[in-house]
Amino acid sequence: MYVGKDVPHDSAVGHVTGESLYIDDLPPMPGELLVDFFWSPFAHARIKSVDLSDAQKIEGVVALYTYRDLHHNLLGPILQDEPLLAEDVCTFRGQPIVVIAAENAKAAAQAKKAIKIDFEELKPILTIDDAIAAQSFIGPKRVIRRGDADAALATAEHVLEGIFVNAGQDHFYLESQAALVVPGEFGAITVYSSTQHPTEVQEVIAHLLGITMSEVVVTTKRMGGAFGGKEAQATHPAAMAALVARNLKRPARIVYDKDLDMHATGKRHPFENRYRVGFTRTGEIVAMKVDLYSDGGAYADLSTAVMARAMTHAENAYFIPDVEIRGTVCRTNMPPNTAFRGFGGPQGVATMENIVEEIAATLKKDALEIRRINCYGVETRNVTPYHQVLEYNTLPRLFAELTDKCDYAARMKAVRDFNASSPTHLKGLSMTAVKFGISFNTKFLNQANALVNVYLDGSVQVSTGATEMGQGVNTKIRQLVADELRVPLGRVQVMPTSTEKNNNTSATAASSGADLNGKAAVDACRRIRARLDEMEKKHGGTLTFEELVRKAYLERLPLGERGFYATERIEWDPEQGKGHPFLYFTMATACSEVLIDRFTGELKVLRSDVLLDIGKPLNPGVDRGQCVGGFVQGMGWVTTEELRYTPGGELLSHSPTTYKIPNINDLPEVFNLEWIDHENPVNIRGSKAVGEPPLLTAISIWCAVKHALSFVSNGDVPRLRLPATNEEILSRLTAYAPVLSS
Amino acid sequence: MRDSILIHINGAPHRIGGDQAFETLARFLRYDARATGTKIVCEEGDCGACTVLVGRNENGALRYRPVNSCIQFLFQLDCTHIVTVEGLTRGGALTPLQDAMVRCHGAQCGYCTPGFVMAMAGLFECSEHPTAADVKGALTGNLCRCTGYESIINAALDVKAQPKIEQMYPGAPILAAIADVERDPVRIENFYKPTTLEDAIAFKNEKTVIAQGGTDFGVWCIKRNFVAETILSLDAIDGMGDINMSDGMLVVGGRVSLAQFELVVRDLVPALGPIMDRFGSPQIKNAGTLAGNIANASPIADTLPFLFVTNAKLELTGKSGARTVPIADFYLGYKKLDLRPDEIITRILIPLPGDGETLRLYKISKRSHLDISTFTAAMLMRRTNGRIDSMRLAYGGVAPVVLRLKQTEEFLAGKPVARETFAEAGEIARSEIAPISDVRGAKETRLQLAENILTKFYYDVLSS
Repeated sequence: MYVGKDVPHDSAVGHVTGESLYIDDLPPMPGELLVDFFWSPFAHARIKSVDLSDAQKIEGVVALYTYRDLHHNLLGPILQDEPLLAEDVCTFRGQPIVVIAAENAKAAAQAKKAIKIDFEELKPILTIDDAIAAQSFIGPKRVIRRGDADAALATAEHVLEGIFVNAGQDHFYLESQAALVVPGEFGAITVYSSTQHPTEVQEVIAHLLGITMSEVVVTTKRMGGAFGGKEAQATHPAAMAALVARNLKRPARIVYDKDLDMHATGKRHPFENRYRVGFTRTGEIVAMKVDLYSDGGAYADLSTAVMARAMTHAENAYFIPDVEIRGTVCRTNMPPNTAFRGFGGPQGVATMENIVEEIAATLKKDALEIRRINCYGVETRNVTPYHQVLEYNTLPRLFAELTDKCDYAARMKAVRDFNASSPTHLKGLSMTAVKFGISFNTKFLNQANALVNVYLDGSVQVSTGATEMGQGVNTKIRQLVADELRVPLGRVQVMPTSTEKNNNTSATAASSGADLNGKAAVDACRRIRARLDEMEKKHGGTLTFEELVRKAYLERLPLGERGFYATERIEWDPEQGKGHPFLYFTMATACSEVLIDRFTGELKVLRSDVLLDIGKPLNPGVDRGQCVGGFVQGMGWVTTEELRYTPGGELLSHSPTTYKIPNINDLPEVFNLEWIDHENPVNIRGSKAVGEPPLLTAISIWCAVKHALSFVSNGDVPRLRLPATNEEILSRLTAYAPVLSS
Repeated sequence: MRDSILIHINGAPHRIGGDQAFETLARFLRYDARATGTKIVCEEGDCGACTVLVGRNENGALRYRPVNSCIQFLFQLDCTHIVTVEGLTRGGALTPLQDAMVRCHGAQCGYCTPGFVMAMAGLFECSEHPTAADVKGALTGNLCRCTGYESIINAALDVKAQPKIEQMYPGAPILAAIADVERDPVRIENFYKPTTLEDAIAFKNEKTVIAQGGTDFGVWCIKRNFVAETILSLDAIDGMGDINMSDGMLVVGGRVSLAQFELVVRDLVPALGPIMDRFGSPQIKNAGTLAGNIANASPIADTLPFLFVTNAKLELTGKSGARTVPIADFYLGYKKLDLRPDEIITRILIPLPGDGETLRLYKISKRSHLDISTFTAAMLMRRTNGRIDSMRLAYGGVAPVVLRLKQTEEFLAGKPVARETFAEAGEIARSEIAPISDVRGAKETRLQLAENILTKFYYDVLSS
């Protein structure tokens, strides 16, 4: 059996030798063109005229295309509101206007300079506040409601209100957006795309170019990281290259550089959430009203779905009897914000964990006590605001075990003592929880198919709609297939994801890649194996897999199967805000201790302890990598990763020189990460999805900063934006200056 | 005079002249040599995905150090041996460090992996059994977005018997090939690599860029389309790479790398150690020079506050000979230098702090390591019996140039070493500066840091 074993990543050897190929590594093809684009330098501007005549004359410039050269111009994964190429108005800085096909980069660069566009700058909407003032929204406002929050707030012993602000986050996948499109016979094209969603790339290209989906093959071998950023937005570069390749009948490649990628693509949604929460003197939460506002950017992209996840995670691990959660997506003139690991979940959960810290600060109680008395129960107090019963709830156990494991009580006392005596530093300690729902809450996306081919020599190819972005989904599928067919791992090859083999697939997203595609692959394997088992029975005894395969072939039995899986029990009514949107929940608790320099605001994470319920991991090594990697990525979101813009909406931090993702030296000085032994009865081989949830464990770091500030905030609830950069922390410390100068 | 450079790549010699010599190493590897293991991500030396080993002749042996190939031009790499990730794997077998990376799940998406593998190979060139701290130091210049680094550290700690590059590529034949040409100057288009200082001075004018490490020059060229009129390399000039003590002064040659400098000052000036750790990655420090950090004239250059409070002097050599200029007088304005068109920084003379002097250095940045500073400060204090005799105070990031804060210094002279003294000094310091807001920090943040850092200094001195 391979499932549950620490099998190395199936591309690991290629990665460490440099043999693994990404789009920009593929050898140049004869006649290949370079694709680039001219983009809007303004967040909001009218295009008064476009003059391409000078650019067209440049040697090496082969063609220039505007929206007029497309059959259709609108795209979007949910609402088709986004033009690939701006028409009369540019609505974000970085929006493509003219596609450039050139023989080389020099010609493309010259073309960009020679393109003359007369813009009339318009007033942009750059913040959530501006959007609210202008009533500029995307999609309908949504609400999840249970009981009567207003009435319960009116009679609550304590009511606390505030605004929680979190900023965006760049994906900073190392491989920027890229695609290579190769024309074939009769107008058909093959697209090599660094995408999490080959089917969407296929569908959009077919639509924009006015051809059928069957004329477009999209293939994804691997991505150099994605994190959600290549779920919807890998489509744009691929479509631009497809336009060139199909029109000119020459191979066309587009590879963004890091600066362009950071300027022009969407990010994690910033949120501004207004909340009122009512609670008793013991800290029991009786009611909550929260209004979530996200910055969706200029177009819908996945923003409404991200908001749905933020709303279904806004109560996090805590049972609230009377609750009302509203969600509004703001339309601004920023690049369309998009999926990013957690998909609104982190923004919802951070809002709630912030509220808990504030309740504790108000009541002068330990925040962990507040968390534990409000935590969802196992038998009672276990219904979510959207009326799904929380089954197999391990949150109380995770709180209890981590409290012991990390020696919480003694360390909290030590933190208090330290803060009472240190004139130079502050410490903070906080334990937060994660309850992350698994499944797309759009029901139809919860399906997958797989193709398993057994060859005459007993070797096996498996193809699914899952795309490999480093997360190890191919490795897990390989393990599952080897187990089901009862063959050595080395006999199983996981093939590049291709729309030719697997049609109408969902994005590899929502942490569900292995759940859905693994199940589909297993389905195919079981039917093949059943046939071979029968063969074995018929021939009696001890035939090898290879012998069985050969016999089956001679007896003209099919040795290829297509598997299918559709998740059961998923229901979601977005208008009512009710249903059973998640098959199950991945859960965790995390405790972090931070040290802050009172003079500089410099933050150091001294220790983090993370305890997860990820079921029975399909591959402990791969899953640990997801957990640790997610934690560190989340740490970046809550601490150093700051997107800084000019007042006009131009991103200033558009490369790693100025945009600081965590470095190897930023790891907590002490870091313990474990998972509990708990089989998940409703998912493949007892496992749980693990891609996104660990990111949210890093919210404990931000809460620990907030806790530290409560020691100097003169009895007030300390305010803190997310990310808690050194600068943000210093500004808070400065606001509480009397303490500093005492 | 040669019109090409000699560069070995994974053991094979290449003679490169003409326009190709002006390509970056990373682009040459990927798009000309079709060795695509080396990745380009940021193309400004801040992510490490392009890391390769550069072997140079040091005292008769090839010494290999990791550098960022994305901001190294081929013309800078005459007489070197480059080892890429492809060159590490010979005959299909993984080296122990690659094997450890596979076993420990050190790679996820794989895009940063070749860079990590090569940075790690650089570590094992000079260390048999590195500690976790050594590993973190060696991998400071490599960003990974997937793993969270834990598995990579575990892999490095699990490596046994990593062969040295010398065992894979015996140095003798490469050194012999280098020896044949290295005393011969190079001239390719507007690039000149002379073998004497006189020739260098004769060539240099106000439009010449000395591309020694080129760690910022490379970024100007790639990101800002900078075109240098002429480019000069000091690589082949004897003596420029020397660093030694003389009369209580540390004397640093004009092409001494930051890595060499760091190695020497670690013991001599303990306060500078943590700054050099955080200054930049090994890749940057291996390429960049102290003279370059000075000549680049950034107001947030991390070595400058130290050089200001120690009253370092620069030896500038030109057609009319050598002169020395105190560092504080060298900067006339933002990126404006007291440097004549023909002059070259030949030596940096640093009087080291003596007994009874307390030196403290501060670097405040958004991320602790490998980040350009928001604010820097240096204090050099002499005190007797709880009273300040003298204080030298320099701030960076608060003006177009690094500043000595004369009024604050005057105020502090003769005052007791007390919290109130430094709190009051902080307010004076605040009034002496006029910082701006930029991507690295708001004006108000810099003012507050300028004020607070003096009280922080007080506590740091008290606690030591």
